[in-house]
Amino acid sequence: MAQLATLPVLPSAPHYTAYKPRPFKREEREDVTLLFGGLTWKHERMMQGVLHNLKYKAEPLPNIKREDLDVGKELIDTGACCPTIFTTGNLASFLKEKSATHGKEHVNNKFVYLTAGACGPCRFGQYHQSYAMALDGLGMKDFRMFLLAQDELDQGEGEGGGLQINMPMSLGLIWSILCGDVITDLEYRIRPYETVPGQTDKVLQESVEYMYQAYLNRPLQGGKWGTMAWHLTTDYFTKALGEVRKMWDAIEVDRLRPKAKVKITGEFWLQTHEGDGNYNIKRWLESEGAEVIPPPVAVWLHYLMHPEIRKLERRQSTSKHPQLEHKLLQVLEKVYRGTYNRFRKALANIPYELPDQIELINLAKPFYHFELRGGEGHMLVGKALYSYHHKKAHMVCELSPYSCMPNTMSIGSMANVMGRYPDLLYAPIEVKGDAEVHALSRCQMILTEAKRRAQQEYEETLKETGLTVEAIRQYEAQHPEVKKATYKVPHMGHAGEATNYVLHLARDKQIARA
Amino acid sequence: MRIPTLPTWFATKASSAPTKKDRSQVRVGIPKVLNVWSTHQFWVGFLKALGVQPENIIFSSDTSEEQGREHGKGRGTVDCCYPVKCISGHYGELVFGQKKKINVLLSPMLYSIPSVLRGNVVDTLTCTRVMAGPESVKAGFLKERDVFAEQGIKYASPFVSLGDPHCVTDQLYDGLKDVFELDKKETEHAVAAGYAALDAFNAKARGQSRKILEWCAINQKPCILVMARPYHMDTGIGHEIEGELQAHGYPVLWLQYLPGDLDLLNWLFEEDMRIGRCKNPFDINDVWTSSYSSNTNEIMWGAKVAARCPWITCVVRLSSYECGMDQPTFTPAQKIVEATGTLFFKFGDLDSTKPAGSVRIRIETITHYLSKYSEDIIRKKRAYLSDQGPLLEGEWPERPEVEAESPAPQEQQEQVISVV
Repeated sequence: MAQLATLPVLPSAPHYTAYKPRPFKREEREDVTLLFGGLTWKHERMMQGVLHNLKYKAEPLPNIKREDLDVGKELIDTGACCPTIFTTGNLASFLKEKSATHGKEHVNNKFVYLTAGACGPCRFGQYHQSYAMALDGLGMKDFRMFLLAQDELDQGEGEGGGLQINMPMSLGLIWSILCGDVITDLEYRIRPYETVPGQTDKVLQESVEYMYQAYLNRPLQGGKWGTMAWHLTTDYFTKALGEVRKMWDAIEVDRLRPKAKVKITGEFWLQTHEGDGNYNIKRWLESEGAEVIPPPVAVWLHYLMHPEIRKLERRQSTSKHPQLEHKLLQVLEKVYRGTYNRFRKALANIPYELPDQIELINLAKPFYHFELRGGEGHMLVGKALYSYHHKKAHMVCELSPYSCMPNTMSIGSMANVMGRYPDLLYAPIEVKGDAEVHALSRCQMILTEAKRRAQQEYEETLKETGLTVEAIRQYEAQHPEVKKATYKVPHMGHAGEATNYVLHLARDKQIARA
Repeated sequence: MRIPTLPTWFATKASSAPTKKDRSQVRVGIPKVLNVWSTHQFWVGFLKALGVQPENIIFSSDTSEEQGREHGKGRGTVDCCYPVKCISGHYGELVFGQKKKINVLLSPMLYSIPSVLRGNVVDTLTCTRVMAGPESVKAGFLKERDVFAEQGIKYASPFVSLGDPHCVTDQLYDGLKDVFELDKKETEHAVAAGYAALDAFNAKARGQSRKILEWCAINQKPCILVMARPYHMDTGIGHEIEGELQAHGYPVLWLQYLPGDLDLLNWLFEEDMRIGRCKNPFDINDVWTSSYSSNTNEIMWGAKVAARCPWITCVVRLSSYECGMDQPTFTPAQKIVEATGTLFFKFGDLDSTKPAGSVRIRIETITHYLSKYSEDIIRKKRAYLSDQGPLLEGEWPERPEVEAESPAPQEQQEQVISVV
């Protein structure tokens, strides 16, 4: 290499170079807004609280709209999966709108975009290539976009020092995601049974605002380890969730509505999203008489951190203490689950527990190897079988983006699962973003059978226990606590909430037979 | 010194040579699909070292619509890209279409693969569909009943990261010990033999590519780089497009076998390293930051080499319909190639049917541009490089006079992108 410096200077070739953002400087922090998105409005509002707490200006991108698909398609290469197109279009629409009002230069200087990167072989880790292409197409190559690795808590200071991905930020964001998950679970478990329509959404809004304030006022602890110790031991968040629980106490529910329970799985963005990006399928399912089990982001984070699953990723590790690292990861995984359970407990254990990752591996084993990476890997097969064996849901609805590489492979493997378990109700829904009727009608075909099963299971249970609706209503009048949204109905071995409720009253509360 | 005791004195001494079991009659079928196209020599070397006779290692034939119709019909489980979808036909051919039955169907799940870029990229993983393809395809043979068992075939699909040699013995031992009754020692020996065979083959193929470049340099003739994934060498997937170009007299190089010789690459990337654009000739961070996927990384690297090598005057990109790994690379790869005026043509959305008519028309267009602009492109790209190049060994023609900026001719830019 030393010889190169002595060589004569040649005409410089006009070679292509990839997008590289200019530095985001520390002194810009007060004037520059961090944009982010990709989760639900609930998660994003709490994340905003974390960022505001750290003195960043931060704003989630507006929720995805159908028009974003068209905007995205115009700006990136053909053949992209719909999450790429939607999220690119979402960012582009925002930038276009802001530029129209304030000018491109203002937008380039006053906003930066923070997005997840690094997802191994899947296209998810390459979304930023599409964003960069869109910026080029919009004539905004000066706009800054930064990647947030999903598997590093402390990534240090970015170039310029404007963005510090450190322990207070990472743990704050993870904790806010966990709180977003448990509150979302609560929402979906309650809304189908609310007696006053709209009450759940109203309380939900108030709860999320309350949690935003909790994150905004999070006491900042000094140092990396101090922050970690505080997050792991404090009751600050469980107390806040306890207050949220009190808000939900006010909601009255009628659990004697047999509803098909539908477990949502699929590609990460598509399954998490609530809006036009997945045809608002969760709300649509509720309107069709289903209770939805939403997929927590926490399961994905659990998958990413699990020491057994991540073993192969450490194959290039140069660590001197691999055994110690492995043990530490095992401890970390236990602490993570413990934290999630503490949050669940604060909400009366109504949110679902995280599935055991080892069980998911074992369930998926004959069909899909757990070390196959990209997307949700073996988890889609594992989760479908977990719901089936544990009778957690009547039906599994897998949302798969058109041309999603990992999803198509696990859907293919599900053919083998279906051969082995023909009574598993499974609806793989391909989502293109612009074929709503087709997707929903496909889902409805399976949902019809799920609803029939839910009704049948409920009626058989009434018959078996000898209880009548009138007797239960009478009991409810005498014991109004069972009608509270936060009253925990234990899982009695059936998927349906109504069925479990009847069994619970019959067995645990010993309601007299008719 | 250790004092011998009776048990140690009479204990059976471990032999340094692996135990050899008789596997001469075992017939192993390997579907010739996806990344088997770039790793086949490993599997041949591995199986031969285990005692499987070369004539008993049976690769399925090239992909064809007939193969899918005859052997894969009704076995598909999902709609995806053709290179994965067609695997059902390959499995079917090995299961049902052999005069002499196979005993084992070996369809490895390749997690990572060897690459010349290793060490300079984040990882060398395969596409998610490549690694998981066997799981999806086998479902079509198991969903109603176990077809493999019915045919007396052992189905073996070891998970293996060939890009990480230190993991491979354990992975293949775990995945194949029951199939071949392996012991650890012989697995280790066979893995080493597999890598040796693969390395020897790759070195030979890269050497051939270098000879082509030398010939081009001496004769000041252009050649074409085919920028594609390994399975596009399959005549049923790549549709022999490169063969038609070759028939017009243009030598063809395949991306997977570009020479990796440092003397040549240091010369091509001399200026890049001097100004700090890249650390070494295998560094692609300047053009592709999310460098996880091995084949994608190599495509970006190949585009860089093509943009710099004077005699590669044309790049032909092949891409299959619905390829999610190719999709984000379309524009960057084209921009890399065209930045120095190199011709770029893309045959995109390739599927099961060969669009013979449109391919012929495109070939005519490509050869027209090659004949018209190659001389100029060679001259311009030569000007970016120092005089002392390795290919000619002092026989350089007179250094051409060129301007620093050399955009592609307008007419050429208008024609370069077109999809079959």
